[in-house]
Amino acid sequence: MIDVFASLAHGFAVAATPVNLLFCLIGVVCGTLIGVLPGLGPVATISLLLPVTFALNPISAIIMLAGIYYGAQYGGSTTAILVNIPGESTSVVTAVDGYKMAQQGRAGEALAVAAIGSFIAGCIGTLVIAVAGPPLALMTQKFASPDYFSLMVLGLVSAVVLANGSMFQAIAMIFLGLLLGMVGMDINTGQPRMTLGLIELSDGINFVALVMGLFGIAEVIANLEQVSARVVNHSRIISIWPSMKVLRGVWASVMRGTFIGTIFGILPGGGATIAAFSAYAVEKRVAKDPSRFGNGAVEGVAGPESANNAAAQTSFVPLLTMGIPTSATMALMIGALTLHGIAPGPMVISRQPDLFWGLIASMFIGNLMLVIINLPMIGIWVKLLAVPYRLLYLIILVICAIGVYSVNNSSFDIYMTVGFTLLGYILRKLNAEPAPLLMGFVLGPMLEENFRRSLITAHGNAMVFFERPISLVLLIMSVALLLSIAVPSIVRWRGEVFKET
Amino acid sequence: MKPFAWRGNIDFFSGVLLSGIAIFALFYIRTLEIGTVLQMGSGYFPLGLALILLGMGLVLIVKGVLSGGPEVGAIHLRPLFFVLLSFALFGVLVERTGLICAILVQVIVAHFGSRETRLLESLVLAAVLAAASSVLFVWILKIPVSLLP
Repeated sequence: MIDVFASLAHGFAVAATPVNLLFCLIGVVCGTLIGVLPGLGPVATISLLLPVTFALNPISAIIMLAGIYYGAQYGGSTTAILVNIPGESTSVVTAVDGYKMAQQGRAGEALAVAAIGSFIAGCIGTLVIAVAGPPLALMTQKFASPDYFSLMVLGLVSAVVLANGSMFQAIAMIFLGLLLGMVGMDINTGQPRMTLGLIELSDGINFVALVMGLFGIAEVIANLEQVSARVVNHSRIISIWPSMKVLRGVWASVMRGTFIGTIFGILPGGGATIAAFSAYAVEKRVAKDPSRFGNGAVEGVAGPESANNAAAQTSFVPLLTMGIPTSATMALMIGALTLHGIAPGPMVISRQPDLFWGLIASMFIGNLMLVIINLPMIGIWVKLLAVPYRLLYLIILVICAIGVYSVNNSSFDIYMTVGFTLLGYILRKLNAEPAPLLMGFVLGPMLEENFRRSLITAHGNAMVFFERPISLVLLIMSVALLLSIAVPSIVRWRGEVFKET
Repeated sequence: MKPFAWRGNIDFFSGVLLSGIAIFALFYIRTLEIGTVLQMGSGYFPLGLALILLGMGLVLIVKGVLSGGPEVGAIHLRPLFFVLLSFALFGVLVERTGLICAILVQVIVAHFGSRETRLLESLVLAAVLAAASSVLFVWILKIPVSLLP
């Protein structure tokens, strides 16, 4: 424990330099911004700002990108409560009781509870990373290549759980992503593969072009197909400070939400959205009078908002300790780290202590900044909703174009983005989610490398994946996870969760 | 059994897309060395992936033909066409005429992608974006791109 605090102190020394403080602030402000604006998610925004971070050192870059992710959780709740438009999928359930509270003139109370709950959950979630990270990384260091292969299989299976819609399609998307990840030079032989004879593809498909096309621009086109929703007059905020009585009442909800979020964030297939829905269900179950839910129950805001923030923090645990992403956003973080020359995995903590502890410390600072920029300045954020989409989408397109171009200063990447936008658009029309594709794309090369290495060391014996205990346990977990999605009651539950989003 | 319908058939079209991509990939994998389990060549893993993808695509085609499947959502060509065109034009122009011109053309073409845009508003925005990008990306972040032809 003493080690943890000494390391944390070191982390604060890293995070509190003026440069890192500035980028932490930029990150959380951008996060709040996109959280408030519906139709622009963290995945698109992080990929948008990824090229901008090339000029920075890796620590500042990752501090900023992480700030966007957890900042979006705060921003999303603001619009959910005030105008009944969830800025993020993680705040969908907050809108149910939060908006009712706003209609009853309790908007300030709802916002304050959401912000304070998020802050407490964010801090506890960050503490969990600090405490659980190093031992987990130490454990992962014992992993041999078959274990890594199975770990990645588990990561990919978790992408299926997260995906909306048909399971078969989601698995097909993973294979498509894996195949796309194979494009480029073969690491073992140096032979170009599936490059269509193009020099530009010999380093593989540009990650930013893929993400920007599939998530960013395809999303813009989908939004343009709908008539934009007009924001009518929103509820007035009378006072943002809740009474002590209210705070005492929600204390238990915040703690339950934090606990649920922390667990869901670490688990593969968890994630902030599912955490928020589960926390809402739990709050409703433990309440003495469940009928209050849906009519402005403050616990219905406190629980889910704490859960989504806790999950947003703890989803960094598998990323930083094992190098596997549990969601599309985390897959993006892997891409960001790799572009900055850092291989995510168990060695990050020991080889890059500044990065690991600096990031953790910045999360405490960032959460504090978020409470400050969200509560007193709430009016500014709400005004942003008045920016019409007909202007916003033009701005988004220009920034995307410059962003993609600046990665390699090549027009080829722009044409690739056009191609992936088209693919993303078609997939959207076919009800196939691009998130599993991204997970496959990111994990593909690592999966192949570990597969080949395992079989070479095992002299071609495929049983090696079942003979090593760690690998076997991970594979059993993967199968169990896949089977659990097929169980009828969970299928129905998933359906309900995603129907509302 | 529902009759086969062209319009509403997500499974069928997903299957066609996936098997199409898989066959396209197999065409390029053909020239790679496959090798054996012990001596895996560069084509071993991609071949496996492409074959699985092809199999899944074919299953989806059969499923789509047999069961009909849910309907494909309405497709609006206007936003799709103009947004893609605006992006491609940016790529063509940025190295030939400089960033400012590329942004102006991109915004004006993208303007036609929505029915709600107003020409004057978009023109002003195009100018503002060109100026702001020049300052932020070229001047401050020093992206190596020329502003003018």
